[in-house]
Formats: sequence, structure tokens, C-alpha cells
Amino acid sequence: MAEICCGVVSESETGLTPCKPSSRAARRRRMEIRRFKFVTGAGSPPEAENEKQKRQKLDVSGTSSSSSSSSSLTREWDNAVENEACSNEEKGEEKKKLKVENGRSQPRHQCLSAPSPSLNPKRLPKYGISSVCGNRRDMEDAVAVHPSFYYKKSTDLHYFGVYDGHGCSHVATRCRERMHEVVREELEKVDVNEVTEWRGALERSFTRMDKEVSAWNKEVVNTSCRCELQAPECEAAGSTAVTAIVTPDKIVIANCGDSRAVLCRNGKALALSSDHKPDRPDELNRIEEAGGRVIYWDGPRVLGMLAMSRAIGDNYLKPYVICSPEVMVVDRTEEDECLILASDGLWDVVTNEMACGVARMCLHGNKGQVFPPPEKVVVGGGGGGRVAGSDKACVDVSMLLTKLALARHSLDNVSVVVVDLTRDT
Amino acid sequence: MKIGGGTDNIESFNNFFQCWLVEQDQFLNELLDVSKHYETNNNNNTPTTGSTSIGDHQVSKDQVLRSLIDKAIDHYEKYYRAKSRSAKEDVLAMFSPCWMSKLEEAFLWIGGWRPSMAFHLLYSKSGSQFEARLSELLRGISTGDLGDLSPNQVVRVDELQMKTIREERQVTEKMAKLQETVGDSSMVELSHKVTELIRSGDRMSEEEDEDEDEQVESNLASKEEGFGEMLDEADDLRLRTLIEVISILKPMQAVHFLIAAWELHLRVHDWGKKRDARNQNHGGGDGVNLPQS
Repeated sequence: MAEICCGVVSESETGLTPCKPSSRAARRRRMEIRRFKFVTGAGSPPEAENEKQKRQKLDVSGTSSSSSSSSSLTREWDNAVENEACSNEEKGEEKKKLKVENGRSQPRHQCLSAPSPSLNPKRLPKYGISSVCGNRRDMEDAVAVHPSFYYKKSTDLHYFGVYDGHGCSHVATRCRERMHEVVREELEKVDVNEVTEWRGALERSFTRMDKEVSAWNKEVVNTSCRCELQAPECEAAGSTAVTAIVTPDKIVIANCGDSRAVLCRNGKALALSSDHKPDRPDELNRIEEAGGRVIYWDGPRVLGMLAMSRAIGDNYLKPYVICSPEVMVVDRTEEDECLILASDGLWDVVTNEMACGVARMCLHGNKGQVFPPPEKVVVGGGGGGRVAGSDKACVDVSMLLTKLALARHSLDNVSVVVVDLTRDT
Repeated sequence: MKIGGGTDNIESFNNFFQCWLVEQDQFLNELLDVSKHYETNNNNNTPTTGSTSIGDHQVSKDQVLRSLIDKAIDHYEKYYRAKSRSAKEDVLAMFSPCWMSKLEEAFLWIGGWRPSMAFHLLYSKSGSQFEARLSELLRGISTGDLGDLSPNQVVRVDELQMKTIREERQVTEKMAKLQETVGDSSMVELSHKVTELIRSGDRMSEEEDEDEDEQVESNLASKEEGFGEMLDEADDLRLRTLIEVISILKPMQAVHFLIAAWELHLRVHDWGKKRDARNQNHGGGDGVNLPQS
């Protein structure tokens, strides 16, 4: 196992250099790196504890006790767009420079630079998806992939999203169905060139999505989730959202919650999002400033309930739990290998470095086998596991990572999206 | 429906079960031998170079494995047929099976193993085989065991898992309803009536006596009938889940799955028996501790 663990990334190594360094941010980053190191070194990640926390979180949000009524839960999955659906699309190319922006209450800006390759526009985005229920009794993850979801100035933008629901699957399902549309609408309204513009558009999108989920909860039109006809329960459901928009020259990540986006660049693992955990120092401050508390009950939890500090939905924990995403804009480089978006079912038991190691080996191993094209792919979300993609190697990577998570006893749903960022096709 | 079927019936099922376990143990050894045999063969002639002789070898190998798997499924079907027959005589005995250890009993779901457990078993075995040969799998080399589940297989397993959990919940829900009927009005009224009669101290006439007994019998009989139906549904789901999981797997993978299932079953049985024996020896069992003179 150890041989596929790549070295731990440091900012200088990867060309990531904060342009407005915030010492707190830098410290946090270092802490994060150290944590990964620890996990890697420890051999067996502390998944048991994480899982306990996870379960707790679900219990607290009030739905898992009503598990017997979930027969309708899976029904919808049967309608979900299926397996072996495939896609063939335009894919953008790469460029230089990394710019990072965090859409938090006290924004931290980081500009990161890297060498700039020249790009050749129209490419097929090669991606693979794997989303399984795994060792849990409910499937609350959802995945959405929309190649060419938006076309602007003769370039195609591709959309990838992973949503990990809690309390019930309906918020994640709703995000899967709507988030990319909301994002597209927001992108239509403004020109997004600057990092701040991306950030604005995505923040507005997440806020709209959150409002939509709340409004929709009130209608209780949903008939396919556990909390059916229990309006108050619906307030206690939410979802993480990590979304990636891949343009010919940029990767734009917006994250809310504890799912994660990781870029594999030249064998290094680069976290493009930072998990919103209640004990993250800046998040802890924000929660306390808002009058909330983080209580350690089976891990840090907002008001002793939710084990993440940001989410779509979760009305009952507002304003402590917010839906505002942290946005990171990264310029693509020729060294980029792939992008991995996954729910914590993967990240709880597999380090960023190991995921990149697996992806790298597998992508180098079998290139060029292309599946027939689908229009769009949506998976999971009360729907059951799906494996799909436009490229065999990417599907294989997503599958290998999923199996690795299961092999390492991940007790959560596991959803993985892998996007090949290399230019050769 | 016959109430409280004879101990003969239970005795005979107990005997059947002991034989069935011995058969399973022999069968397990057979499966282990076969899997080891093909594993060694596989390593000797790398199967990736697909010559015809290897193709033929593969065909005959699959045939051998399939006949073993069929035998294994027969083995299970035999068990459930015997169980169903005995349940017709005394369904309640199936809910507290004396042929099992207390440990096994603690894991029971409606008189048997919980169907969704099959997926945990599969994922556990698949996980250990996956990690054991990770470097090969990363290089795209097929290992042919459970670590090598294809994307299509993973999807089918996942779908089956969701379906099984759904059905398991439906059966659990029905079981809940049935168990709640212990407090239904007929039971409460009847228990009150009988208690009153006992308290009044009046000797009941033989007729009254018979009448009460009849009412109690018919009331309990309907409950037992319900338990019989539950057991049928639960056993049906168990057997179907098993067969469906096996149908998703390739022959060699199915053999690995069966090996894991039987190793687990036999060892948990052993451990439970040992534990029960130990507890009895230490007087920790059901018996009262008598002073040793």
C-alpha cells in the first residue's frame, strides 16, 4: 500500500502560493497537511470513530430512527439514469496559474501560480462515476455530471457535483437535480472572469439552492424520502455540496460541507477544498460569533447535532450552519492529471495522497478506452449505486477508489467522481 | 395448524441440523481444495495470454465450479425445506432454536440470518481480497476473486442490496405489527377473563374450562399462523438473496463467497457453543447455582 502513497504536498512544491496570505489560513493548511501525514503514517485510519460520528449526526438530525418507513426511499432510484450511461463531450484545456478564493465570511484570497501550457479548446471530458450504498442501510449520496452544461464564448463548461445528504436523502437529491441549473442561470447573468466574479456567482447559486430546498421542504411534495409528510423532520435534513466547473483553462471548485475535491497534479495531491468541520478554528469562531456553540458529543458538532459547519438545508441549525461555499479557482496546467470529487465515505478512510496514487497508476495503466456517449449523468440520491462514465480508465479509477474505501471498512455511502484532466486523447 | 408440535419434531430437526453442519463442513473443505487448486493453476499459466487450451481450461473450470455452486445451493434449499416442514409442526421452536448457541441466537432476525448481512459479508471478503492484491489490480491485472468485482457487478450488488434492505424492512414492519398483537384487545380481554376466573377461586365447570382453553388456543393459533407466515417470508428472502448474490458473481467469486459464508457460519457456531459450555461450567448458565457439598 505504502508505495502508492505520494509525498505529502506542500504549498511551495505545488506552486500554490497565497497571494494574500492569511496566517490563520496558512496554519490551518499546515495542520491539514499534518493530519494527512498522520493518517498515512498510521496505516489504519480512524474510520471507526468517524463512522460513529457520522451515524450520530444522522441520528441527531432525526430520521434514522424512522428507518422502517423507507421502503419508498429506493423506489426513486429505479428511475435514476442508469449505469453504463456514457458521455462524450467537449473538454477544455489547461492554462497557468492557480487562483484561490475562499468564499467565507472573512474572505481569504490565495493566488497560486504554476507554469502555463497553451491549450487546445474542444476536448472530450473523460470522467468516471461510482456511487454505492456500501455498508450503510440508506443511500443519501447523490452525484451529478453535466458535460457542456453551459456554453459561453465558444467554450464549453462542464459540471460535476457530489452531494452527501444527511437526515434524509431528499436535499441531496434536489441538489443533484437542480444545482447545475441554478449555477447555469447565475452564470448567464454575469460575466465570470475574475475570481471574485466566480465566487459571487457560486455563492448566489448555493444560497438560491438552499432557499429552494427550504421552500420545497415546506411544500412537502416529495414522496420518495423517509421524512415524507413530516414537515418538521424535513427541516432537519441537509446535504454537503462540492461542485467543480471545468473550463478549458480553469477548475472552479465550490464547497460547502465535508465532501472534498482533490486535484492530482504531477503525482501530488492538492486539496481544492477544505472540509467544513465545526472544530476548524475559523469555522468555530464564526459559529460562536453567530451565537452558536460547538459541542463535543461523538466528535465536534454544531449545537451538539451536526458534524459539519456548512451545508445546504439544515434550516434548524441556522444561522450557525451556513450554506455559503468556499470557492477556489485554479488555472489548469499541463501537469494536471485528474480531479477527484468524493463524499467522506471515501475521504474518511483514504488519504488524498493515496487516492491520487491510485488514480495515477490506473490512468497511466489503461488509457484510451472510450465508452459510448451519454447526454448527462445523474446518479444516487435515494437512487442506489451507479457506475457510469465516458472513459473506461476514469470509471476504473472511481471504481477502484470505491472498492478501496469499502475494503478499508468505510461505513458510509461512497461516491466518487474522477475527471481526467490530461490533454492527450 | 397444530399447536406446540411434539418434541419429536424438534428432536428430528435438531438431528437434521447436526448432519447438515457436518455436510457443510465437508463441503467447505471441498470448496477450499478446489479454490486452492485453481489458484495454483492460475498462477502457473498466466491466463491473460488467451490461447485456446487455456480457453478450454477455463470452460471446464467453470463447469466444475458451477456444479459445486449448484450443490451448495441445493445444500441451502435442503435446509430451508426441512426448516419449513418442522415449522409447520412447531413454528415457535424456530424462533428460539435450541440447536443454535446463544451467540447465534443473538444475531437472529426472524428465525435466521439477516438478509442484508450477505452484503457486509461480500464487501468484507471482497475488501480483504482487494487489499491483498491491490498492486495487481492497479496494474489492470485480473485476479478473478472477489477483489476483482467489475463495475457492472458492483452496480448489480448495490442494487440488490438496496432491494434487499427494502424487502427486509417490509418484513420487519410486518413482524412489528404481528408482535404488537400480543397486546390486542382479544388477548387483553382473554387474559383478564382468565385471571378473574383464577382469582374468584370458583372451580370452573369442565365446560367452562374447555371453553376457555378453546378461546386461548384459537387466539394463539392465529398468532402462530402469523409467525409461520413471517418465517416463510424471511426464509424466502434469505434464500433468494443468497441465490441472487451468487448469480451476480463469476463461478470462482461465488466459490469464495460461499467459503466466506460457511467459514463464518461454522466458526460462529463453534464459538457460541464453546461459550455456552464455558458458561454452563462456571454456573453462569440458566441453572441455579447449587452449593457443592
